[in-house]
Amino acid sequence: MRIPIRMIGIATTVFWIFLIAFFVSAAYSAKDIQFGFGDPQTGMNVDNELFFSLPVALTNRGFYNIGNFNVTSRIADGDGLEITRGSTLIPVIRRGEEVRAFHNLTFDVDDLLQRDQNYLFNDGEIRIHETVGLKLAETIPVQAEANFTVPWGAPLYSFAIGEPQYSAHNTTHFRATVSISFENHAFFDLTGSIQLQMYNDVNRQTGYSEIAFLAPQHTRYDGAVEFYVLMSDVSSSGRFEACLSSLLFSYGPWVIPYG
Amino acid sequence: MDDRRAGWKKHARGLLWKATKATTKGFIAYVIYFVAWSFLSPLSQWIPSLQQMIETFVAIYIVLMILGELTSGTIYQHFFNAAKALFVIAYMLMSLKGGIFGLSVENVNLTIDLRLFMIATMLLGLLGFARTILQAIDYMSQKAEPRLLKLN
Repeated sequence: MRIPIRMIGIATTVFWIFLIAFFVSAAYSAKDIQFGFGDPQTGMNVDNELFFSLPVALTNRGFYNIGNFNVTSRIADGDGLEITRGSTLIPVIRRGEEVRAFHNLTFDVDDLLQRDQNYLFNDGEIRIHETVGLKLAETIPVQAEANFTVPWGAPLYSFAIGEPQYSAHNTTHFRATVSISFENHAFFDLTGSIQLQMYNDVNRQTGYSEIAFLAPQHTRYDGAVEFYVLMSDVSSSGRFEACLSSLLFSYGPWVIPYG
Repeated sequence: MDDRRAGWKKHARGLLWKATKATTKGFIAYVIYFVAWSFLSPLSQWIPSLQQMIETFVAIYIVLMILGELTSGTIYQHFFNAAKALFVIAYMLMSLKGGIFGLSVENVNLTIDLRLFMIATMLLGLLGFARTILQAIDYMSQKAEPRLLKLN
């Protein structure tokens, strides 16, 4: 009986040594893993969606391969409802290898505005949940998570349509000039057109006009729309119905009273 | 008189040998800890309680190991060896909190899944415990054999 007991003892000792050596060396080589994030790039893809691209660089100078390196981003609105999600997976990073990848997220502004039009007119914040995970030595899963909020700039912040200014055009028509202004607080440029319909106090359409605009990010836009309206249709009060079309989203009609 | 003196000398020599063996084993265990810690020390800046956790484990393990060596040749050796094996299992279960080790640094939550490591250590602990039980059975059967022979 002594020989089997001794063999069990030897086997146990060998396994202990192997286990401790493996764990210690895997933990030690974690300090030789370097990863960094480059400057994020934003733009628009072929489907007219906003994209967000984050360069990720990872250098493995440890003793072992790294398995299942993944970066996952979840973007949610203020109430926690998911807007978009993106994931980047690198199955294996061999020791001594340097890997560069792009973590991409696409973002449909239309989807966001369908949920809450406040994002169009009011600044706010969006929540980002970031997860970075990997398997040390392809065996020990390690995961880091962080929640943070980033400011959301409204593309049509303080959108306003001024009172119509009338001037005589001919004997039957007035030329009405209406000012349009807003501030593009968003991180993207806004290009498109605004269609404006003018109604008098008896709900009769008195004019229709369209204006193209270009509002680069973080700038104020000031424009004016001209209508030619029948003198007999003019009233002191009424409403405008505005529709906005841009490459990124469409919105409207929304009603703005005047007078 | 000479027989008693010879017996006492033999007993003292045996005790000295046990003490030397226990000291050597304790020293080797400490050296292993010292070397392992020099590799693990960078992690202590992320896990401040890591050093204390490992030191407590090593201290209790070495004490049980020395006691086991000093009591070798008696039934108490097996008690201490069983206690050592059970201590490894219990300490791993308690300190690793089920194998999912989490910590927060500022806004970042770090999770390390050590379940595989924990299962391996527990299996080795169980193997050590089984070996101790076998040793105890062997010890008891050897003690019983001369008496059984006398009875026959």
